[in-house]
Amino acid sequence: MKHIETIETLNLCESAKNGGCGECQTSCQSACKTSCGIANQTCENTEKN
Amino acid sequence: MVHQYKLGEYNIVIDVCSGSIHAVDDIAYDIIELFEEEDRNTVIEKITQKYSVGSDVTAEDISECYDQVAELAAKGRLFTQDIFEPMAGELKEKTAGVIKALCLHVAHTCNLTCSYCFASQGKYHGDRAVMSFDTGKRALDFLIENSGTRRNLEVDFFGGEPLMNFDVVKQLTQYARSIEKEKGKNFRFTLTTNGMLIDDDVIDFCNREMSNVVLSLDGRKEIHDRYRVDYAGNGSWERIVPKFQKLVKARGNKGYYMRGTFTHANPDFLADIEKMLELGFTELSMEPVVCAPGDPEELTKDDLKIVMEQYEKLAELMLERDAEGKPFTFYHYMIDLKGGPCIYKRISGCGSGTEYMAVTPWGDLYPCHQFVGEEDFKLGDIWNGVSNVRVQKEFAGCNVYAREECRDCWARLYCSGGCAANAYHSTGSVRGVYKNGCELFKKRMECAIMVAASRLLAEKKGR
Repeated sequence: MKHIETIETLNLCESAKNGGCGECQTSCQSACKTSCGIANQTCENTEKN
Repeated sequence: MVHQYKLGEYNIVIDVCSGSIHAVDDIAYDIIELFEEEDRNTVIEKITQKYSVGSDVTAEDISECYDQVAELAAKGRLFTQDIFEPMAGELKEKTAGVIKALCLHVAHTCNLTCSYCFASQGKYHGDRAVMSFDTGKRALDFLIENSGTRRNLEVDFFGGEPLMNFDVVKQLTQYARSIEKEKGKNFRFTLTTNGMLIDDDVIDFCNREMSNVVLSLDGRKEIHDRYRVDYAGNGSWERIVPKFQKLVKARGNKGYYMRGTFTHANPDFLADIEKMLELGFTELSMEPVVCAPGDPEELTKDDLKIVMEQYEKLAELMLERDAEGKPFTFYHYMIDLKGGPCIYKRISGCGSGTEYMAVTPWGDLYPCHQFVGEEDFKLGDIWNGVSNVRVQKEFAGCNVYAREECRDCWARLYCSGGCAANAYHSTGSVRGVYKNGCELFKKRMECAIMVAASRLLAEKKGR
């Protein structure tokens, strides 16, 4: 019996190896303007594998 | 660290530091709750006892489930330790001095006089003014000069009401387009508007040049017109809705957000979301009001309880509409579980004051649009650059680990430490924590993750 369904997610520990290019958007520049969050941002790193 | 919650038909478990998300059954949910506190035998004993009456759960099931949890822990998908703190300042250090986004306050004036406006009716507690082309041009040059090797540059035309200075907006866009290639840059423009001055010319321009437009609408007419009135006191809903509909229809697949504010007058904001949907809009955002404590618009404790329920109902509505083939987007529920920002971005905090700044009509620089008018936070100007190094340093030091309260928070890698302006306005320090904001943020993340998980599981089943 399967008790746990693991959803495919970005592995944050792995992202430490090839992240940090800084091309991503600033936190609330383009939409909300009053409440910060980075969860809804897109990674813009074109060099990563 | 693990965060677990039940929402809709799901038991969700988030392994905070690996970013893993699991949808689990009740037995696994209970085992995970005890896993770090007790040894194997005690956990199994307690769970067996819990399920001994009125369930067909066997001892074998429980033991098997325990082993599955243990396996995930061994693989680094549960109970992962936070090893990121030494990296917290790295991204900001690496990109120190690089500016990638400006909020151009092209008009410190407005044709509406909304009492809840954080920008005090567009004036930011100062004089009315519009930005000249020369000042705007210098701001764009300043951005290019300070953008290092970064290619994508973001510029938001903001106010007040930016369309009250539309000619300058057009000239600045044209100027940026004329130099971006030779400078090796790509400008991404956005514009935030109350809609009053939208006409065919504005629609053509926005749909050609703006990568995103943010359209202010609070939803139901009576809610919108309560605050969003002109100087004669007349509501604006009837005038702007047809303009927004025309703009969005002409926009095709280009991005936009219908952005509303909810206040003490409408903590039941889901009705406003439904009104937006009824009007044909599908890219939606509703934000809690930002105001001074004690303002009549302020959300009360009772309001916040309603808002929390509304967020859950909103998540349910999104899944229902998915099933009906009528999906919509809610800005705060957009989350890419498979992708999204890397760990450096997640721990480095908001870029305000370092990679992002606001420029006033007079060319002064502030850490972000929400600090404009706070003289102590003036960073410098677009001709001489940043001179207030002390304040900039304070912002550069803001990251997930800079606030004690964030260290034990499960949502820290989704919010990155929160908004410095909200922190300052609620606690008097940019290193403070805006507690109500945190509670709302956490609820939004729980809902967003549930919706995303549900979609991914449905996709998996369909394959």
